[in-house]
Amino acid sequence: MRSLTALRMVVHDRSSTAGALLGVVAIVFLVGQQLSILFGLLNYMSVLVDHSGADAWIMSTNVRNADAGDLISGRHVDRVMGLAEVEWAAPILIGNGLFRTTDGSFESVRVVGIRRPRLAGGPWDFEKADEQQLLDLESVTVDRLDQAKLGNPLLDQVTEIGGRRIRVGAISEGARGFQGTLVFASLDKVKEIARTPPGRYSGILIRFKPDVDKKAAITKIRAVMPENSVYGTDELSRLTRRYYLTNTGIGGSFGFSTIIAVLIGVVIISLTMYTSILSRARDFAVMRAIGGRRRDIAVVVFSEVLIISGIGLFIGFLMLATFLNATRGSSIPSFFPMPVVPILAGGTLAVSFLGSLIALRVALKAEPAAVFH
Amino acid sequence: MAVLKLENIARDFSDGRQIRRVLFPTNLEFERGELTVLSGPSGSGKTTLLSIMGLVLRPSEGAVFLEGQDVTTLSDDDAAMLRLRKYGFVFQQPMLIEGLSVMENIALAFAVQGARLPDNFRDKTEVLLKSLGLGETSHMQPRLLSGGMKQRVSIARALIKDPAILLCDEPTSSLDAESGQAVMAILKRIAIEEGRVVVVVSHDARVFPYADRLIKMENGTIVSDTRERYVEVSGLR
Repeated sequence: MRSLTALRMVVHDRSSTAGALLGVVAIVFLVGQQLSILFGLLNYMSVLVDHSGADAWIMSTNVRNADAGDLISGRHVDRVMGLAEVEWAAPILIGNGLFRTTDGSFESVRVVGIRRPRLAGGPWDFEKADEQQLLDLESVTVDRLDQAKLGNPLLDQVTEIGGRRIRVGAISEGARGFQGTLVFASLDKVKEIARTPPGRYSGILIRFKPDVDKKAAITKIRAVMPENSVYGTDELSRLTRRYYLTNTGIGGSFGFSTIIAVLIGVVIISLTMYTSILSRARDFAVMRAIGGRRRDIAVVVFSEVLIISGIGLFIGFLMLATFLNATRGSSIPSFFPMPVVPILAGGTLAVSFLGSLIALRVALKAEPAAVFH
Repeated sequence: MAVLKLENIARDFSDGRQIRRVLFPTNLEFERGELTVLSGPSGSGKTTLLSIMGLVLRPSEGAVFLEGQDVTTLSDDDAAMLRLRKYGFVFQQPMLIEGLSVMENIALAFAVQGARLPDNFRDKTEVLLKSLGLGETSHMQPRLLSGGMKQRVSIARALIKDPAILLCDEPTSSLDAESGQAVMAILKRIAIEEGRVVVVVSHDARVFPYADRLIKMENGTIVSDTRERYVEVSGLR
């Protein structure tokens, strides 16, 4: 009966219900949208590592992120290949160059060189053509979302990067980096573009054989080559993300805007619930007079919050899903991992209850004697 | 044995600077089957007395006995439980909860502490509403009812639990003369036919003819306590 009373009050007090709903929806949607962009950017930060297909990376010592390592010797590839646990090892070379766009201007790009014919660490999804195009020395891939920035180069269009002739062989999908436009090419082409010393690479990708204990294998490689850093792919991904989050201000910026979104929601919920409960103060006094205890009043108030939060969560997540759907495949980075859904829902619920505490206080203050004139 | 007994009840109120006595030591006993009207000018202490009788206000002095048990210093929760089980209240305004139907308002009085409604609740409510002249209103919203009908719903809300004591605070003051008479007739019948303690606070002389006992108060003191029979007037006994 107490829950039914709460439901009836929620339905009857439409304006205050709408206000409290707005608060819940604001929290879910604004925080969710902020988080989805943050997760989208996080994906950009570690995109090369996450999609490398490798189990481990060898990089120069004291690496702080996957994009900022010193060059290491290519001899390590052969040393690693000698280990029983390793299925394959392939070097990767990352450099910078200026892409000559269609109108003759230049755009800075990150060129990622991968070894033929395995093409490990290369692009993983394509809109036009495929990775086999990179078997050609001249061929590079550009991403669909970077095409406009690069002057909308057509497939098979010939241009230059770093003054070296290249041909747009394929259009990748989703291969966007946090530091800049990613262009994939063969190892040899990137050596030309970046003018790196021979036999030196940015890193070495390693894939272990099936059923190998990856942790033990990584420990073994670390012992074999103490002069380098050896990371599991997940570890390097986390390291890279953490680096950008803490060193670019992006973490603080998103954290701040998330807190603001939560505060806005809490204030809206607090004010509307407070007004609603205040207008119901007489009803709560009646309930107390006819035998309701304080805890019964609390049950009614919390039931109201639960009902409003439930509806608000539904609307908020619906709006968030619409946003994610609308931005999918666009240049707005947005990604919302499923495990975050219950966390956001639980957090919103907790914040909603927090926002209703002042209202609860008012409701609990309702004195049964107040019903007598 | 008296159902309700007040022993040297007094009540003080403080405004922070000084303490003011609004009810001076009072002794009263209430029996079943009697409609008592508590009358007096505004500020005479009758509502304070009613509040103490209804366990919604604690006396500053004295003791309250309900069916022989001292209930003066009960905890809030215990007092609420007693109000739920033993008391019915009818207020000056009907004080029905907007948004709840007539049936739900009545059900709330039964299950405000979360108890499950008995299987026969719906039938019992329909019978009760019919006896109060409110047939076919159980699913209506209170805002669709007239003032008199609302007050009768509030009587139904008070009666649904079969309370031993029915306390009514100016139940007719917001009603027109005809509705007021109807409500008083119902309260009179409840007292006599159902053997309940019914106490009505009112300064409206039109309710006096329904009283089996008339208590008059002035300045926090009972100035008269008479048992007069208006049976012939009300035509109920």
